[in-house]
Amino acid sequence: MKIIVCLKQVPHQDARLDIRSDGAWIQEEGIKFEINTYDTYALEEALRIKDAAEAEVVVVSIGPDRVTQALRTALGMGADRAIHVKDPEAEASDAIGLAKILAAIVKAESPDLVIMGMMSDDGNFAAIAPMLAGLTDMPHTTAAVKVERSNGTLRIDREIEGGAREVVELRSPCVIAVQTGINQVRYASLKGIMAAKKKPFDVKSIADLGLGGQVGAAAVKVRIEKISPPVKGERAEILEGSTQEIADRLVGKIKELGLL
Amino acid sequence: MIEWSEQHRMIRDAVRRFVAAEVVPNVEALEHGDMPPYDIFRKMLSTFGMDAVAKTRFEHMLARDRAREAGEAQPDRESEGEAGDRSDSAAMQLIPIIELCRYCPGMVTAVGVSMGLTSAAILSKGTLEQKQRWGLDLMTLKKIGAWAITEAGSGSDAFGGMKSTARPTEDGGYLLNGSKTFITNGPYADIIVFICKLDEEGVAARDRKIVTFVLEKGMPGLTQSKPMRKMGLHSSPTGELFLQDVKVGPDRLLGGKEDSRARSGAKDTFSLERSGVAAMALGIVERCLELSVRYAKERVQFGRPIGEFQLIQDKLARMEVARMNIQNLVFRTIEAAGQGRRLSLAEASAMKLYSARVATEVALEAVQVYGGNGYMSEYPVEQLARDAKALQIYAGTDEIQISAIARDLMAR
Ligand SMILES: Cc1cc2nc3c(=O)[nH]c(=O)nc-3n(C[C@H](O)[C@H](O)[C@H](O)COP(=O)(O)OP(=O)(O)OC[C@H]3O[C@@H](n4cnc5c(N)ncnc54)[C@H](O)[C@@H]3O)c2cc1C
Repeated sequence: MKIIVCLKQVPHQDARLDIRSDGAWIQEEGIKFEINTYDTYALEEALRIKDAAEAEVVVVSIGPDRVTQALRTALGMGADRAIHVKDPEAEASDAIGLAKILAAIVKAESPDLVIMGMMSDDGNFAAIAPMLAGLTDMPHTTAAVKVERSNGTLRIDREIEGGAREVVELRSPCVIAVQTGINQVRYASLKGIMAAKKKPFDVKSIADLGLGGQVGAAAVKVRIEKISPPVKGERAEILEGSTQEIADRLVGKIKELGLL
Repeated sequence: MIEWSEQHRMIRDAVRRFVAAEVVPNVEALEHGDMPPYDIFRKMLSTFGMDAVAKTRFEHMLARDRAREAGEAQPDRESEGEAGDRSDSAAMQLIPIIELCRYCPGMVTAVGVSMGLTSAAILSKGTLEQKQRWGLDLMTLKKIGAWAITEAGSGSDAFGGMKSTARPTEDGGYLLNGSKTFITNGPYADIIVFICKLDEEGVAARDRKIVTFVLEKGMPGLTQSKPMRKMGLHSSPTGELFLQDVKVGPDRLLGGKEDSRARSGAKDTFSLERSGVAAMALGIVERCLELSVRYAKERVQFGRPIGEFQLIQDKLARMEVARMNIQNLVFRTIEAAGQGRRLSLAEASAMKLYSARVATEVALEAVQVYGGNGYMSEYPVEQLARDAKALQIYAGTDEIQISAIARDLMAR
């Protein structure tokens, strides 16, 4: 059994975010990065399948040099092999471009399962998993909160409106995009981290994948024009009364805003 | 080595994630409640497979000892293996110390005394049988260890004023008497390395041989006090030990012989302890600096962030210089381990003196940057400042480090 886990490196949750001078993205120099939260759950899910059965876990990431660290961390946690797509053209791609790159790798590897995070902490597009499934003609599901396997079939609980669950069955090979919080993500062990140095680590360019001209800046269909920090509001409301009353009102407000 | 390697950073990130999830939410209970520090650390050992690494190391050590006893030539420990592996293994021990000291130097003190000092004392001077009996349990923190030399009347002059005694008995055993104080883990220790003087007829107190015994909790005549109240390091239980006619067999005499090596044994232990202090200081300094920079940007007085005042900038810049210097000392320790070179006592003393002093200075300056908030327990610099001070006292006071350095210089 072979499982591909796609993961993205995103700015660390404690990183200070400043907007780049062209206004279209954040300043990436000098900040810390980490593996996208959603993807850590995807990786853990894959490693659990590996723990329970024989499986090879291949981690794939697209991005500049710094992405090496994310992939090595994944290897340290127990993944067997890494593929790093490192190419300025790859980085300049939009969601469909990235999905095409991943699709090329998935076609070449023909895994039994692709697991990935439902979306990224930074971009929040939630687009790549369905696109990848479309491009590779595989069944897929999103917002997975539970993954169960029995010979060739996967039973997946998905989270839907109001916390309800929908159960779907997918035939392998398929693409599963997971929700956060579905498992407890393991730590890389010290031995694992030292062993990660020696695990296979492939670096590929767009040309290596036969995608020259099909992805990258020239092929972009969606471009980010401008990002802006949230405006500081002055609408704070102070709730008063006994602790019980404050708590009741707070719950009322949260419900009113449809957050619960 | 001028920077942490990619592997080192991975270890640091993983440990940092553990500390954030397991230690930080418990700092209050560890510092001011009744939570002893051992269980969290045990969890850390198993989470990262450090216990398995320790077990492998222990087994190699025993195999080597057995081969040596059987008369086979053995390379010494320091020069074995690849240089890179040796420095990585040193880094693996130091990185968790640094990370934990950002939040809880007390935990590092308690665990370091048990897994570091106590186990090293037994593993470096013990007989094969003694290593087998106590070594692994200490190296994996299955059992808690304490190392007891200090007495009410003998601290810096540890051997000179020492009153605890071992009197040989007819059956080849010993009768131990005396009391020890300021003993880290004293209240909870399962295994105690007890250093005392051999009570021989006709030998003046000052010239008596130093002997070391390994005691265990619950032995008749041994009393372990409750934790003492102290200025800082509240997560590290410190106590007194009282021995009244504790009867031991010769199997508990460390090394199995009454020879004078015990003095040098204790000195080797000092050297190990002193290089660990630099890593502790680095954790404290790193965190104080981060907190101070953040606060200097956020806190506004006279219409400006206080970080715009030159007097505050001076403090921040000095903290950064301290951080760089201590980090370089830690790198030096790692490099030396890679080359199989042990730091000399004078060198370790110099490192300890500098790191401890500077950590205390930085932590107190962090309190100053925070102003009134800094003096309040709600803000973490208050704890770090109290904790840092201990580094200048235990493992040999600043003054004792200075005399060790000077003695070495004058002997050149
Ligand atoms: C938190 C904590 C944990 C400890 N844990 C342990 C432990 O686990 N096991 C253990 O055995 N001990 C432990 N100790 C004891 C510690 O090692 C001693 O406190 C330390 O060695 C100093 O001894 P003292 O307290 O008797 O001070 P003293 O030796 O009385 O020193 C008092 C002052 O005089 C100075 N002084 C002494 N001699 C000289 C000299 N020749 N020249 C110049 N100045 C001098 C000292 O530097 C100091 O400033 C611990 C102490 C603390 C605070």
